Amino acid sequence: MPGFVVAQPLVFGLANGAAFGLVAIGLVLIYKSSRVFNFAAGEFVTLGAFGTYVGSSVVKLPYPLAMVVGVLFGTAAGLATERLVVRPLNDRPKVTVLVATAAVAIVLIPFELMIGKVKPFPARPAIHGVGVKILGVYVSPQQMLIMLALALSAIGLAWFFGRTDLGLATLATSQEPTASRLVGIRLNRISLLTWGTAGFLGGLAGVLLPPVTSNFTAGFGTTSVLISAFTAAVLGGMTSIPGAFVGGIVVGIVQAMAQFNVNKLPGLHDLPGPNSVAILVVLVGVLLVRPTGILGKEA
Amino acid sequence: MATTLERPVEPPSARAGTDRGQRPSPAGWAARGGVVVALALISLLYVFSNKEFRSDALAAAVVLAIGALSLNVLVGYAGQISLGHQAFIGVGAFTSAYVISQSNQSFYVGLVAGAIVGGLQAVVLGLVALRVRGLYFALVTLAWGFVGENSIFRSRGLTGGGAGQPAPRPGGFTTDRAYLLICVIALTVVLLIDWRLVASKAGRALQAVRESPQVAANYGVNVRAYTLFAFGVSGVYAGIAGALFASQRTNVVAVDFTFALIALPYLIVTVVGGLRRRGGIVLFALVYILGQQYLPDLAKHLHNRFIIDNAGFVVQATSGVLAILTLIFQPDGLGTVTAPIGRWLKGEPFVFGSRGGAGAEGLSVRP
Repeated sequence: MPGFVVAQPLVFGLANGAAFGLVAIGLVLIYKSSRVFNFAAGEFVTLGAFGTYVGSSVVKLPYPLAMVVGVLFGTAAGLATERLVVRPLNDRPKVTVLVATAAVAIVLIPFELMIGKVKPFPARPAIHGVGVKILGVYVSPQQMLIMLALALSAIGLAWFFGRTDLGLATLATSQEPTASRLVGIRLNRISLLTWGTAGFLGGLAGVLLPPVTSNFTAGFGTTSVLISAFTAAVLGGMTSIPGAFVGGIVVGIVQAMAQFNVNKLPGLHDLPGPNSVAILVVLVGVLLVRPTGILGKEA
Repeated sequence: MATTLERPVEPPSARAGTDRGQRPSPAGWAARGGVVVALALISLLYVFSNKEFRSDALAAAVVLAIGALSLNVLVGYAGQISLGHQAFIGVGAFTSAYVISQSNQSFYVGLVAGAIVGGLQAVVLGLVALRVRGLYFALVTLAWGFVGENSIFRSRGLTGGGAGQPAPRPGGFTTDRAYLLICVIALTVVLLIDWRLVASKAGRALQAVRESPQVAANYGVNVRAYTLFAFGVSGVYAGIAGALFASQRTNVVAVDFTFALIALPYLIVTVVGGLRRRGGIVLFALVYILGQQYLPDLAKHLHNRFIIDNAGFVVQATSGVLAILTLIFQPDGLGTVTAPIGRWLKGEPFVFGSRGGAGAEGLSVRP
C-alpha cells in the first residue's frame, strides 16, 4: 500500500496502549471483584495528570514528587469513589452503580473546568531528551517510561495475586463473595483495596500519558482514555489481567494506525476522528463476534 | 403465539392501594381547580406580559427536557442505557440544520427530518443492543457518542466543518419569546406521546421486557420488536430535541455536542428528575437551566467572582452530587414530589411517596 506509515504509529500505539492497559487493568480488577463497570476510571486518569500539574506548576515541587502527588490524587479518587458512591449502592442493580460512577465523572469534570477552563494544561516529561531511534523512529524516554510502568504493574499484580494472601483473598472474593466472607475475609476492605489499586493505576496513567503530547485538557481521561481502556478490557475478556494488558497494546496500535493511515485510504481522505471510528469498529466487532474476548473466559 | 399481554381490568400501577370510593369533597375539588387555574394564569401572564423573561433560557430548558425524556425512554422504559446521547441529539441538530440551510427547506421540514433521521440512527444502534448484552451495550453507546462527536459532526460536507451549519428560526418565530412557544408546543406533543405510550399496550410490553425478557417472550411479547421500538421512539424525541436545539442556537457547531456538555447533563437530569417520572424530569430540566441563569445574579450580590464566572460548572457539579444522592437515597428523584401532586390533581388523596415509579430496583437492565 503506498504511503502507509507503520513504524511511527507502532511506537505511538505501544506507548498510548500501555497507558490504556494500565487503566484497563483497573477496570478488570473492579469488574472481577464486584461486576461493576467503572465509568469514573477516566477521571482517575485526569486527576493523576492534574495532581502532577498542581504539584509541579502550582506548588513548585520537584518533578518526581509531583508525580507521586499525581498518583496519590488518582488513588484517593479511587478510594473515595468506593467509600462514598459504590459501597452505599452495594445491593443495587449494577446499572445503578454504573450510572453512579458516571455521575462521579459528572462531578469531577466541572471542577477541573472551573480551574483550567477549556484551555490545555501544560505537561512536561519526566525525562527530557529525544530518545532512542528504533525502526527509524525516535522513541521518547516518556514513551519508554509508560511501557516500563505497564510492565512493572503487570509483574507486580501477577506477584500480588499469585504469591500473597491478600491477593488470594481478592481472587476468592471475586469468585465466591459469600464463602469468602464466611472464612473471615472482609469484603469491604477487599473492595476498598481493589478500587484503590484501580485509582493508583489510573493515576499512574494520568501522570505518564499527558507529557507525550505535552499537554492535557480537563476531562481528557473520560473523553479520550476511558473508551479505549474499556475496549482494551473487553478485548481481553473483561476478567483477565493479562488480557487487559494485551488488549491495551492492541487498542493503542489500532488507534494509532487508524489515526496515521485511514486518511490515505481511497474515499476516506476527509474522514475526521478516524481513531474514534476505529474504537467503535473494534468494540462492536469484538462484542458481536467474540464476546469472550481474546483471553477471557466469560463475557 | 399470537397471544399478547391482556390489559388488566384495573391498571395496577395507577390504582393500587387507593380507595376508589373515596372522592374529594367539593372543597377538595375547588382546591385542585384553584391550583390548575393559578398555573394557567401564571402561564398567560407570562405570554402576555411585555417584560422579557429569559425566554432563551426557558427554550434551552425545554430542549433539555425533551432530550432527557428521550433518555428516559431508553433507561426508564426499555431498561437499556445510553451514554452517547450527544450523538442522538447532534444527529437531529445537524440533519435539521442541513435540511434548512443546504436544501433550502423550511424549519418544519427540518424538524421532521431531524426526528426521522434521529429515529433511524437509534434503531440501528438498537440492532446492536439486541446482540450485545446489558452493561456491555453502555460501552457501545459511549463509543457511538464519540464517533458522532469526533467524526460525523466534524465532517466538512455534512456539517460545514468547524464553522458549523446555520439553522435559522422559522419566519414569525425569530424572537426568543416566539421561539419558546414552538419549543413548548413540541414538549407538549412529546409529553402526550409519552403518556399514551406508557398507558398503551406498548408501554406494558416494554415494562414486561424490562423486568424479564424471558418471561415477556413467554407471554408472547415480541422482545426484539419492542426493544427496537423503544430505540426508535427515543431517537425521534432526541431528533426533535436536536432540531430545536439547532434553531435555538441558530448555528450548529460540533463543539456543542460533547460528552461533557450533552451526554452527562442529560443523564443527570433524567436520574435526578426521576426515571419514568415525566413531571420530575421536566421540572429538573427547568431547575438545571434556571440555576445556571440565576446563580450568576446571586453571586453578584455575594460579590463572588468565581461563581459568576463558573455558574454552569457549579450547577453541573452540584447536580452530579444530587444525582449520586438520588441514586443512593431516593431512586425516584424529583418524581417523589411531582408524582403525588399529579395524583392529587387527578382527584386522589395526597399520599407522599411513589408508586409504580423507579423504586429501589428502578434501574434495571436486560441481564
